[in-house]
Amino acid sequence: MNWKNVLSLMQVERKSGRLIRGRKITRYRESGFLAYWPYWVGLTLGIVTGVLAGIIYDFASAVDPEIYTLFQQGVLSIFLSLPTLVLVYSLVFTTMQQIQRSGVKISSQVPYWLPVTWQEHTLASILASLLGFPLASAVFITSAITILSVFLGQVLPAVMASLAVFAAAFMASAITEVLRILQVRFIGAVYKSSGRAAVWVRFIGSLLFFLVFYIIYFYMTSGGAVTFIQTIASAQTAAWFIPFVWLGMTIYSFTSGLLLQGFIFLALSILFIAGLFFLATLLNRRFGLYEPPAITISRGTYAPKTGFLGKLGFSTAEASLIRKDIRAFTRRRELMTIFIIPIVIILLQVMQTFGSTTQTAPVQLFVYLAAVTFLLPASVIAMSLGSFMIGEEGQAVWRIYASPISAKTLVKSKYFFIIFFSVIVLAITGIFGFIVYQPSLRATVVAYCEAIFLIIALGAISLSNGIKGADFTETPRPRMMRVSWSFINLGVCLLAGAAIFAPFFPYALSSMLSEIMPGLTGVALLDPLLALVVSAVIAIVLTVIFYRIALKNARELLAKAEI
Amino acid sequence: MLAPLMHGKWQMRVRLKYRSHFSSATVRSLAMSEAFAVELKSVVKRYNEILAVAQVDLTIKTGEIFALLGPNGSGKSTTLKMLLGLVQPDSGSVNVLGIDVQKDAVAVKQLVGYVPESPRLYEFLTGIEYLDFIGDIYGMQAAEKKNRITEYLKALQLEGREGDMITGYSEGMKQKIALISAFLHRPKLLILDEPLNALDPRSARIVKDFLHKLKMQGVTTIMSTHVLEIAQAVCDRIGIMYQGKILALGNMKELRQMSKLPDSGLEDIFLKLTGTDDIRAVVEELLK
Repeated sequence: MNWKNVLSLMQVERKSGRLIRGRKITRYRESGFLAYWPYWVGLTLGIVTGVLAGIIYDFASAVDPEIYTLFQQGVLSIFLSLPTLVLVYSLVFTTMQQIQRSGVKISSQVPYWLPVTWQEHTLASILASLLGFPLASAVFITSAITILSVFLGQVLPAVMASLAVFAAAFMASAITEVLRILQVRFIGAVYKSSGRAAVWVRFIGSLLFFLVFYIIYFYMTSGGAVTFIQTIASAQTAAWFIPFVWLGMTIYSFTSGLLLQGFIFLALSILFIAGLFFLATLLNRRFGLYEPPAITISRGTYAPKTGFLGKLGFSTAEASLIRKDIRAFTRRRELMTIFIIPIVIILLQVMQTFGSTTQTAPVQLFVYLAAVTFLLPASVIAMSLGSFMIGEEGQAVWRIYASPISAKTLVKSKYFFIIFFSVIVLAITGIFGFIVYQPSLRATVVAYCEAIFLIIALGAISLSNGIKGADFTETPRPRMMRVSWSFINLGVCLLAGAAIFAPFFPYALSSMLSEIMPGLTGVALLDPLLALVVSAVIAIVLTVIFYRIALKNARELLAKAEI
Repeated sequence: MLAPLMHGKWQMRVRLKYRSHFSSATVRSLAMSEAFAVELKSVVKRYNEILAVAQVDLTIKTGEIFALLGPNGSGKSTTLKMLLGLVQPDSGSVNVLGIDVQKDAVAVKQLVGYVPESPRLYEFLTGIEYLDFIGDIYGMQAAEKKNRITEYLKALQLEGREGDMITGYSEGMKQKIALISAFLHRPKLLILDEPLNALDPRSARIVKDFLHKLKMQGVTTIMSTHVLEIAQAVCDRIGIMYQGKILALGNMKELRQMSKLPDSGLEDIFLKLTGTDDIRAVVEELLK
C-alpha cells in the first residue's frame, strides 16, 4: 500500500467537492485554512461544548451529589452508544452524498488509468466519502467527549469511544462503497432485463430508495437522535451478534471490566472492518468500471407529435421545452428527489400522529396538520422547482443559449412546468388531507385556494431568484442554485407567504378570542371569504411583479450567456 | 427581401413564423449585407487579466468555408461564441448575416447552426427526442422534421440506436447527434468548433462532402479545427489566430506567400507563423 498515492487521490476527491467556478478558475489558489474549515469548526465547537458541559457538571454536582451519579451513568451510556450512532449517521450521509454525485463519473474514472493498486484506490475512495459532514461531526463528537471526560474523570472510556467513533465512520463509508458498486452492477442488470420499462423501473426504484433514506434522515435530524441513543444504549447488549454494535460492545466490555470479552469484540470489529474493505476492493476490481447498458425508450417508426401543450396555446418551442423538462424530472435521478418532498412531509406527519388518538389529541393539532397537508407540500414543490428550473440545465445550458429562444419563451415554459407539477401535487395531497383530517367543505375550499395562491406566487418568486442565482456546476454534484441565492429565495418566499396569509390573521385571532371568551362568539374580525379575496389580490400582485423580474433576469442571463 | 438568404419552401415558413423576430431595420441590413456572412470590427474580449481576443477584424463571404486555426488558448472558441452572442465582446461590433448580434441575438440564432467543442447534450433524452426537441425549437414543420431526422440518422449510421438514451452513446455518436442538430433546420451559417472530433472516417467524409454541397447552396461554414489536413482540404480561406490576434488570413496560396514557404503544406506554414516551429529542439529536450 502506497500511502502517498492514497493521500493524493483523497486530495483530488476533496478538491472536487469544493466550489471552484467562474472567475476563480483562473489563477485559483486554495487557502489551506479555508479548505479545512468544517474540521476547524467541528473541533472548536467540540471543545466549547465539552468545556461548557464540564462546567455545568462541576456546578450541578457541587449543588446536588446525586447529580454526580446520574451524570456519570448517563455519559457512560452515551459513550457506549456513540459508535453505533455515528455508524448509522455516517451511513445515511455518505449514501445521500453518493446519490447526489451524478456528474462524478467524468472525474472518478481517472484513477482506473493510473498506476495505483485496487487497494489504494478503494481506500482513498472510502476515506474521501468521509470528508465533509461525517468527518467534521466525528471531530466535533470526539473533541467534546474527550474534554468532558477530563471533568468527569473518565478519560480512558472517552479515548476508547473516540477511536471507536472514527472506526465506525470508516465502517459506514466502507459499507457505502460496497453498496455503491453493487448498485451500479445491480441497476445495470435490471435495465438490461426490463428493456423499455427500464425508465419506469429506475424511476420507481429510485423513489423508494430515496424515500427510505430521507425518512431515516428526517427522523434522525428532527429530535429522533435522543430516542435513538436511548434505544441503542438499552438494546446494544441484547443485539451483540449484529456486527454494527461490536464497537460499542468493545467499549462496554472494557468499561465493565470484562477484558476477555472486550478483546474478542475488538478482534471481531477489526475483522469486520477488514472484511468490508476486502469486499469493497474485490467489487471495485470486478465492477468498478462497469458501464450500465443504454436504456432503450422507443423502437420503431418515428412519429413527431403536435402534443396536448400545443392545444393549450403554447408555441412549439415552449411545448418542447416543457416536454424536455418533464422528461428531465422523470429520468434524472438527482432531480427525482423533488418528488420525495411531499411524500416525506406527509409521512412524517403520519409518524408524528402515531400514538395520538382523536380522544387525546387536541383539535388544533388536526387543524394544523390538515393545513400543513394542503399548503406545505405544494408550496415547497413550487419553491424548489422554481429554484432549480434553470440551474438543472447544467452544462447543457449552451443548447438554450445557442437556440433561438427568447426570455419570454424560456420563462413562460419554465413557469408553466412549475405550476403544472405543483398543482398535481396539491390535488393528491389535498385529497389525502381531506380523507384523513376531514375538514369542512368551506375549510377545504379555502385551503385549496390558498395553496394555489402560494403556488403561483412562490413559483414566480423562486423562478426569478433561480434565474439570477443559477449555478450550472455539475461536479461532483449538480448545484443548480448558488447557496447565497438559496437563502435569499427562502427569505423572500417566507415573507411572501406571510403576506399572502396576513388577511387570515384577524380571522384566526377572532377564532382564538371566541374560544377564550365564549361571549365573543360571532364577533369575527374578518370573514374568511373576504380574507380569501384580499389574499388572492396580494398573491396576484406578487406574481405579476416577480414574473416581470423573472423576465428581466432571463433577458440578462441570455445576453450574458458566458459558457 | 429575406428571400435570397433562405432555401425554397423553408424560406417561406421561416419568414412567416419568425416575421415578428426580425425588425424592419434587421430586414434592411439583411438585404444590404448579402455578400458578407460575418463581419467583425475591432472586437476585443477580456477574461479578467487574460486578453482572449485582441482587436480582431474579420470578414467572411457568403457561401465560404472558412477555417479558424490556432494553438490552444489562442481565442478561436471565444471568437466563434461571439458570432452567436454566447460571449459578449468588450468592444467592437459583430454582424452575422447582416444582423448586429448584440441587438438581435435570437434572429441570428434562428439562422445559424452551432456545434460547440465537446458538446454536452441532454443525456436523459433519446437521440430522436433530442432531435425532435431541436426541430421544435427552430420551428420546423412536423413532416419536414420527420423526413430530415430520418435521412440524417440513416446517413450517419445512427439507425437502430435513435431510441436509446444519449447517456449510453459513445463520444462519436454524441458528436453525430450534435452535428445533425446543427444541420437539421438548414441554417444559412454553420459555426462548427472541432466538428469532426471523434467521428469515424466514413461519417467524417460524409460531413466534409456535405459541407461542400451546402456551400453550393450558399451556406457559409466557419470551423475551428486542429486537424490541419482537413482545413487545407475543405476550406476556401484560413485564418490563423495566435494570442487573440489574427496573424494571417487568406487561401493556401496567400498563406504560402505570407510565410515565405512556397512549396510547404499548412502544417509548416502554421508552425512558422505561430512561432512554434521549434519542434525538433523540444523533442530533443524531451528525450534527454
